Amino acid sequence: MDLVLQLLFTGIGIGAVYALVALGFVLIFRATNVVNFAQGEFSMVAAYLMVVFSVDLGWPYWLSFLIALAGMALFGVIFNLGVYYPLRHRTYLPVIIATIGASILLSNSVLAIYGPQPQVLQGWFDTPGIQLGPVYLDSQYLLIIGVTILLVLFNFWFFERTLLGKKLQATSQDKEMASLLGISVSTMIMITFIYSAVLGGLAGILVAPVLFVSIQMGSTIALKAFAATIIGGFGDVAGAIVGGLALGVIETFGAAYISVPYKDGFAFLVLIAFLVFRPQGIFGERVAEKA
Amino acid sequence: MSASDNMIPAPAVRSKPLIIRHLPYFIGAAALVALAAGMQFDGYILNILLQATTFSIAVFGLSVVLGLCGQINLAQAAFFGFGAYAVGLGTADLHLNFWLCLVGGCAITLVAGAVLGMSTLRLGGHYLAMVTISFQQIVTLVMINAIWLTHGPDGVANIRRPELFQSSQSYLAFCVAMLAIVGYLVWHLPDTKLGRAMRAVRDNELAAGVNGIDVFRTKVSAFGLCALLGGLAGGLFAGGFAYVSPDQFSFAESIQFLTMSLLGGVASPIGSVIGTGLLILIPEWLRFLKSVPGLYLAIYGLSVILIIRFMPDGIWGFVSDAFTRWRAHTNAPPVAGALLLRPATTGGDIVLEVTGLSKHFGGLKAVDGVDIAVKRGSVHALIGPNGSGKTTTLNVLSGLYKATAGKIVLDGTDITSMAPHQRTAAGLGRTFQNIRLFRSMTALENVEIGAERPGNTMIGKGDDALTERAMEALTFVGLGNRANELISSFSYGHQRLIEIARALASNPTLLLLDEPAAGLNSTEKLELHELLKRIAAQGLTILIIDHDMTLVSEAAQHITVLNFGRRIADGESMAVLRHPDVVSAYLGSE
Amino acid sequence: MKLTRREFSAGLAAGLAAPALMRSAWAQGATIKIGMCVPVTGPAAEQGLWAQNGAKLALAAVNKAGGVLGKQVELVIEDDQTTNPGIVLAFSKLAAQSDIVAFLGSIRSTQVQAMAPDVIKVGKPVMIGGTNPDLTHSGNPWLFRFRPNDNYSGRVIADFGVNTLGKKKWAIVHSTDAFGTAGGKALTEALTKLGAPPVLDQGYANQSQDFTPVVLAVKQSGADVLGTYFTFENDLGIFARQLRQLGVNIPWVGSPSVVAVSSTKLAGPALFGTYGVADFAEDSSDTAKAFGKSYRDAYKTAPDNQSAWPYDAITILSAAINKAGSTDPNKIRDAILATQKFAGAEGEYNFDKNGDGLHGYNVVKNDKGKIVYDKHIDFND
Repeated sequence: MDLVLQLLFTGIGIGAVYALVALGFVLIFRATNVVNFAQGEFSMVAAYLMVVFSVDLGWPYWLSFLIALAGMALFGVIFNLGVYYPLRHRTYLPVIIATIGASILLSNSVLAIYGPQPQVLQGWFDTPGIQLGPVYLDSQYLLIIGVTILLVLFNFWFFERTLLGKKLQATSQDKEMASLLGISVSTMIMITFIYSAVLGGLAGILVAPVLFVSIQMGSTIALKAFAATIIGGFGDVAGAIVGGLALGVIETFGAAYISVPYKDGFAFLVLIAFLVFRPQGIFGERVAEKA
Repeated sequence: MSASDNMIPAPAVRSKPLIIRHLPYFIGAAALVALAAGMQFDGYILNILLQATTFSIAVFGLSVVLGLCGQINLAQAAFFGFGAYAVGLGTADLHLNFWLCLVGGCAITLVAGAVLGMSTLRLGGHYLAMVTISFQQIVTLVMINAIWLTHGPDGVANIRRPELFQSSQSYLAFCVAMLAIVGYLVWHLPDTKLGRAMRAVRDNELAAGVNGIDVFRTKVSAFGLCALLGGLAGGLFAGGFAYVSPDQFSFAESIQFLTMSLLGGVASPIGSVIGTGLLILIPEWLRFLKSVPGLYLAIYGLSVILIIRFMPDGIWGFVSDAFTRWRAHTNAPPVAGALLLRPATTGGDIVLEVTGLSKHFGGLKAVDGVDIAVKRGSVHALIGPNGSGKTTTLNVLSGLYKATAGKIVLDGTDITSMAPHQRTAAGLGRTFQNIRLFRSMTALENVEIGAERPGNTMIGKGDDALTERAMEALTFVGLGNRANELISSFSYGHQRLIEIARALASNPTLLLLDEPAAGLNSTEKLELHELLKRIAAQGLTILIIDHDMTLVSEAAQHITVLNFGRRIADGESMAVLRHPDVVSAYLGSE
Repeated sequence: MKLTRREFSAGLAAGLAAPALMRSAWAQGATIKIGMCVPVTGPAAEQGLWAQNGAKLALAAVNKAGGVLGKQVELVIEDDQTTNPGIVLAFSKLAAQSDIVAFLGSIRSTQVQAMAPDVIKVGKPVMIGGTNPDLTHSGNPWLFRFRPNDNYSGRVIADFGVNTLGKKKWAIVHSTDAFGTAGGKALTEALTKLGAPPVLDQGYANQSQDFTPVVLAVKQSGADVLGTYFTFENDLGIFARQLRQLGVNIPWVGSPSVVAVSSTKLAGPALFGTYGVADFAEDSSDTAKAFGKSYRDAYKTAPDNQSAWPYDAITILSAAINKAGSTDPNKIRDAILATQKFAGAEGEYNFDKNGDGLHGYNVVKNDKGKIVYDKHIDFND
């Protein structure tokens, strides 16, 4: 039982990481109908920004954090203008490939600038964790889970209760209709990219103390996060969160009770099973589109 | 993906035997093979050439699945790996014959590709992307962890080549020959029936379905073919390098294959070769940038973005596009005879009998218990105000929607539960309210796809007969002299005529016209009216849906009126139009 | 078939070398070229940089001392992109330059395996750091290893744990890549021979984000000592931290990555008190100390095995060419194989007929973040 609780905590912790990155995926997908293959690199770039300000320049943690997130907002703008915007009238395929190109460009640019050594980034807390009965709770994972819960609430409030959120919703559901209502679609998409980059960045900064800061840190998480979005139901915010958590838990238990080396395989097996038997995901609507 | 299918042989020269027309290709290929066999290369050049040759074949696969059929495959490296491991394990561990292993590997990849395709191709783009990624990851994990089978990460060494091609040089020549042969087949695939079907699916899945193409089977074929080419390439690769290991077949390699395909031009095998060659060579050339780690891969990433943005059809697409446009105008299409329509007459006096047809979307009853009987040889109109259920009825008739209840009998055959392409085969032809032509093809090719309907008794054997029939249909609608132009160069009204020609070429038993007058000016409407008369004169039954009352009242002898999903009137034209319910339905809602 | 081909390639190499020699006779001032395949890009780019550092350090020393055969030595570097196809291309590109007399291959065994068929074709000596025992045991006469192979690391870990620490209940954790699998196997065999078969043999896939299931498996196995083969330092760092968090504090003897510079930096206190086998330990010998000093002076960071083996490879290769008095591949080969009791940074080189230079490991300890030399264990077979 102790074992199960410990695995459950870890599964939820790692699942929350997937969920955070998945959220960024979903927002961009809803707004543009495009899967952003560079989403993982958003996290990586933010973590490196943190290293630059907090470790190299020695600035206070909170200040570095704010600067890094502001940097990510700017990054979102550049990414939209450089990668998505010029291709917005084309089909999804060229855009997917452009984001793959962006992912290669980003990871190797950071490699060129910062070198290949993994970096250490401290967490928010000095205490590494709490022993709660038989279960050890890593403080950084607790923070990640907390932030994920807050973000779920925030997203709900933002998309359902604010005008901007509703405009974003409208844009993601029907662009033509939205523009008829006087909403600037390209502004809404820009905002989506900014928000998504900040979210991805937040995820990167939060996991950096656990996974270290390295060039590859984002891409491995992003693939899982991508799987999580489909399990949850593509384009569904709640689905991304639940999908991420489910994936983390499945993976951890699968590793503990079936096979560690095939751990990464479970995620994809579950994914294929979902695609074949329930392509709409846990929450999603039917995907088939007709006439 | 867009535009530029360049390999459109002009119909006029089809009379010469194929071998003679393509002789220059074979001579060129033979020269290349001789060059590969005869020139003295050092080991480095040899390895580069061998890599480029085998990778090109794998990229051909992508040009089929992505370029021709418009489906994404992010697992080509996994299929490549299947072929490579089949040859590797077969020759090194089991000491089997190289050829046996190569063929076995191809068979395995074909099956794997088709099965993967069958399980997911019903879903669209992003899902397919994700499934292929997952498949790729699982294959990599198995290659690494199933040590008993694959030797795990150590890889397979001492892979043998066929006795005939022991030296690297002769093996390279053999691979170049394979490249030439496969390239030839892929080059001509677009002109075959399967190839046309793939292009139709890529351009417009819906229209492909109602023109008699089994969309699902076409996609699975494309996917299987792509996998097969990947496997073949992998087998050749394994023989060439004598060593394979899991990291050579990872997700990153799949991305590389995709990029190669896009860079060169996804639509043609020539593009594949260009793209593959460049992406193998460019990183080699850029090695001087190696003093800064990561710099040249960064440039590689940047180039991908720039190519996609500024050269959407790839390098070859860019080059050949101009050429195609120039040629399309210079080639005069052949003169065609008169179009003959011989609708099948197996059933009774009623060609289409619809009884109790319903279509419900959740609680909404879009169509509710409608009966329609269309008499043979008549022009029958289905009218009703907006939202009355006309188009839903049409979509249920052509099979795009499944009927909730009711029965549809076409010329004595119950087609209620048939797929769209099966209904087309049964003799149903249709056009769309919003035109659905295959935009990257010429007018002639569009119509050829219609003519290719299974069970079309009006075409003889072979491509020439197909072209002849298509030309007749185009000439019938008055566009015969522009047959070789791309769809994009036609006006809206003319595109509508091409759509009708496409349906006519298939020699349907019943022609469904969905708002054919929509968006036409008055001259074009008059022409359309004339055309309908000429069609009707040949005895073809027409079911027309429109709200242009003039057209309907003049062309149709019989009218069925729908409102709120129910039939409110039915009978001889003039009587129906004066029916009080009809008048109030129109006046009340418009 | 195999023999004739080897004879043929040797003859061919000699034939190629002859005109090169004649040319070099009148081309005064030309350099002796040594090719080096090393990751400049890809996941091991970091280690590749250190390898270049080590090689360049040795090169400078050799050239300062008068070079080889009276000429300066030049290093020609090609990026192997940390991939197998990458190293095949890199090596064939180097091999195409006929004036390169010998090569430095990879520290990664799979890469050496990938390039091995080409090595036989080229027929020139290739110095390697890959530790898979098979590399030098499968009839390829041109591979020379400058690190002890995995049989020895497994035997040293087992010997140290069982005989020095007195622990018999072993848990083994290893990566499922080539290095980890081979290492885990060697350790299991060595332990079984010592009468202490492991109670847990747990593999994991590289670049895992979480090791809780692995740690819990170790905890549940009741093992009193842990042996590990980790490939990547960030995996090791995550594992080490989670191991301590979940309260596993048994002695730990691991493969070289446990005591690598970057693991020490990443994992911090979690690795305090661990033992690692190290082919390189700065305090193990005077030569190692001297190498450590010059490396620190040149690059301002601590050296490790990634830089030590290329350093030794260049040093011994240069000495061997000088002793051979010619760049003829066969003569160089004989001279390398004749190298005995040669004090290198990695240890004392006594080449055997397979081309293995080293036959033992140092055991080092992480003493509160400082790597200290503990003892050296050598085998005679």
